Amino acid sequence: MPSTPMAPHGNDPWFVHFSNLLGSAVLQPDGKSAGKLVDMVVHTGEPYPPVERLVLRAEGRRRVHLPWSDVVEVRPDALRVREGVVPSPGDPPLGPDRLSLRKEILDRQIVDVEGAKLVRVNDLQFLVAKGGLRLAHVDVGFRGLVRRMGWERAVDRAVTSVRPSSQYLRSDSLLSWKLVQPLDTAPGKVRLEVAQRALGGMHPADLAEIMEDLDRDQRAVLLERLDVETAADTLEETSPEVTAQILEEVAPERAADILEEMAPDQAADALGELSGETRRELLAAMEHPEAHEVQRLLHHDPRSAGGLMTPDRVQLQPRQTVADALAELRRRAEDLPLVYEIFLTDRSGVLVGLCTLRDLLLAPVTARLGTIAREPPVTVEVDATLRDVADAAAKYNLVSVPVVDSQGALVGMVTIDDILSEVLDGR
Amino acid sequence: MAAEPAPARPARGARWRSLLVFLSVVGPGIITANVDNDAGGITTYSLVGAGYGNKLLWTLLPITVALVVVQEMSARMGVMTGKGLADLIRENWGVKATFWVMVALLIADVGNTIAEFSGAAASLQIFSVPPWLSVPLTALAVWLLVLKGTYRSVEKVFLVACVVYLAYPISTFLAKPDWGVVLRATVTPSFEMNSGYVAMLIGTVGTTIAPWMQFYLQSAVVEKGVKPEQYHHSRLDVIVGCIITDVVAFFIIVACSATLFKAGIQVETADQAAQALAPLAGRHASWLFAFGLFNASFFAATILPLATAYYICEAFGWESGIDKKWSEAKEFYGLYTGIVVIGAGVVLIPHLPLLQIMLVTQVVNGVLLPFILVFMLLLVNDPKLMGEHRNGPWFNAIAWVTTAVMILLTGYLVVDAARKLVTGGA
Repeated sequence: MPSTPMAPHGNDPWFVHFSNLLGSAVLQPDGKSAGKLVDMVVHTGEPYPPVERLVLRAEGRRRVHLPWSDVVEVRPDALRVREGVVPSPGDPPLGPDRLSLRKEILDRQIVDVEGAKLVRVNDLQFLVAKGGLRLAHVDVGFRGLVRRMGWERAVDRAVTSVRPSSQYLRSDSLLSWKLVQPLDTAPGKVRLEVAQRALGGMHPADLAEIMEDLDRDQRAVLLERLDVETAADTLEETSPEVTAQILEEVAPERAADILEEMAPDQAADALGELSGETRRELLAAMEHPEAHEVQRLLHHDPRSAGGLMTPDRVQLQPRQTVADALAELRRRAEDLPLVYEIFLTDRSGVLVGLCTLRDLLLAPVTARLGTIAREPPVTVEVDATLRDVADAAAKYNLVSVPVVDSQGALVGMVTIDDILSEVLDGR
Repeated sequence: MAAEPAPARPARGARWRSLLVFLSVVGPGIITANVDNDAGGITTYSLVGAGYGNKLLWTLLPITVALVVVQEMSARMGVMTGKGLADLIRENWGVKATFWVMVALLIADVGNTIAEFSGAAASLQIFSVPPWLSVPLTALAVWLLVLKGTYRSVEKVFLVACVVYLAYPISTFLAKPDWGVVLRATVTPSFEMNSGYVAMLIGTVGTTIAPWMQFYLQSAVVEKGVKPEQYHHSRLDVIVGCIITDVVAFFIIVACSATLFKAGIQVETADQAAQALAPLAGRHASWLFAFGLFNASFFAATILPLATAYYICEAFGWESGIDKKWSEAKEFYGLYTGIVVIGAGVVLIPHLPLLQIMLVTQVVNGVLLPFILVFMLLLVNDPKLMGEHRNGPWFNAIAWVTTAVMILLTGYLVVDAARKLVTGGA
């Protein structure tokens, strides 16, 4: 891929940098300048968006714009337009799926979907083919910065004379337009189907890290481009403060949909950060069973066993069989968090024993759970502190610590992953 | 269990809640204010008090107003846009403007860091610790605190350090100044048309309003995640911070005026000022002064390199933050470590022209400040960025007048310092 502008070879497609075109004169056939190029507008409905309009600064600092159809020739550092063009005054209106490259992409932060991180756009690279200009790559590398400073040739020469084999001369950090997500666009305005699918494939933990680094508007834009499930998975990974702030930015119905998909303990933590009014509004918009579970968790201090626990657990009776337990696990696999312990309770819900997944695998399927169960080594009450819960998990090597109310009835469990992240946060 | 919604923490009355909200957003303004009273600040205020007595005290009131105006804009932009100043400059003016602003900021901040380490060395010398020991130890402590401490521990250390500023008022009260004269001088402007007086006046303004503060404050406000609805708490934090800055400055000037100026002792640096206080107000004053100077230097030496690395990375899109691994954020850690090492290393060079370095720093700060103020005013008045939170007509008038005065004063300072650098005289 050529990194410096190349002269066109007949009909071969070639690349040109935005920085080489920006600020250069747009010439008419008689050699007169129609103005200096200050911006371009692309149509994002296609994988490689074509340039639709040019924005020029004409005499007297007036901003004017032209359609791309007026362009007759693209050169590595300039554009030529047809004779007698009449530019329209002002900036072009940006309808749906239209992006201003100077205002919304260049120098802005974007998500590098493949590298799973936030980067800043230093330059853009266009493909010149069949008389059209298509946005192909985003340059996020050091070389792009040097080019923007106008020092590319000088630096290249200096580096070549010192160390011709330098990595610098060959390493252009180009990202395919298809694998980036711009963030500084008005929400809902721009459709980027390919990149959006790629975004959904990112790990929620990576998305969460990016989310934490964004400003409010960018968070809303990014969240809008995620489907509800990915959004919920991502918001489980962000800190409750950030999650709460993001939920406030999106429409209440969508926020409610996301909260329903989230693990109830995480949803409750986020809701606990919101003002009473917003919390009531979102709870009212949520489906009933999920809202009810979350409400119960909200009663507890977020750093107590009650606040940390999830009500989703496998709870069976001693007379049920191993086969019943396995069937239950399969049936509920979707909405269960980390499962290792299966809890056995009597009629009134008091914890009487537990089996581990290992016990289930080793026992015959017809065995009654009561016969293979062990004594629960420990329980914690809902108001137990994080320290107590962590101690219990560490001492008895538990993957999940059962939480009971003051009557000894099982109400939920705290899983080791939640304990771990709380302990790490509190360091 | 009951099904009706009940918050985990019962409300304890609106006033208590409002206090809690204030405390949760408090910090950036007050921390910035305390870094502002760094080694350079203490030196300048000591020279003002020792050389001119109470004559320059009146400048503190207009300086406070200017400081509040400028800092309030930074905080407001941070809250409303959610972006740092470096970020906004890059997005609005592109790579070239950003590059030169960052180069100037880096030079100025390295210069400031050198001043902080020489301040730390000077203060520890009062406790008989030689620089070859104190400077590397201070640098190591700074470096470890930021890179090995967690964010919470760092913030706690910073807030405790803020409280230590009580050392200055205590030192002043031990010196027993004539309070009637002091208060009258604070509200009565006086002006002398000689170059020494003008230079002191400009030095006082320049050391109080520095370019890096606007970057630091705005980023810190963004980092805190303050919401627009909570902005009034942030504004209060900024105003309180600015007042603290100038109250501390006031006490330093008064302390030096009541002792050194009255006794006719001329000082050249802050450590001399501290030593000169010892016979007059007992050895406690000297210790307090040295303790305060060390605290100020250490505090600023911790924040300046970190903040500088942070905005440079922000501007160029490199990964930054102390929660990142070294391999993820090479530029960030490289810049941070580089600034600390240069800052501490330069102080250790024997026969170093420290005064010359300080002059260069002042010049670069002075050249940079007008650009930053104009950038800020253009940004804060941009309807697309700020919406209804733009400056009002009156605020704008005050802000532009402040900017114009700052440009005039720093312009004079730059010319004067450049002249001194060329002629080689101090």
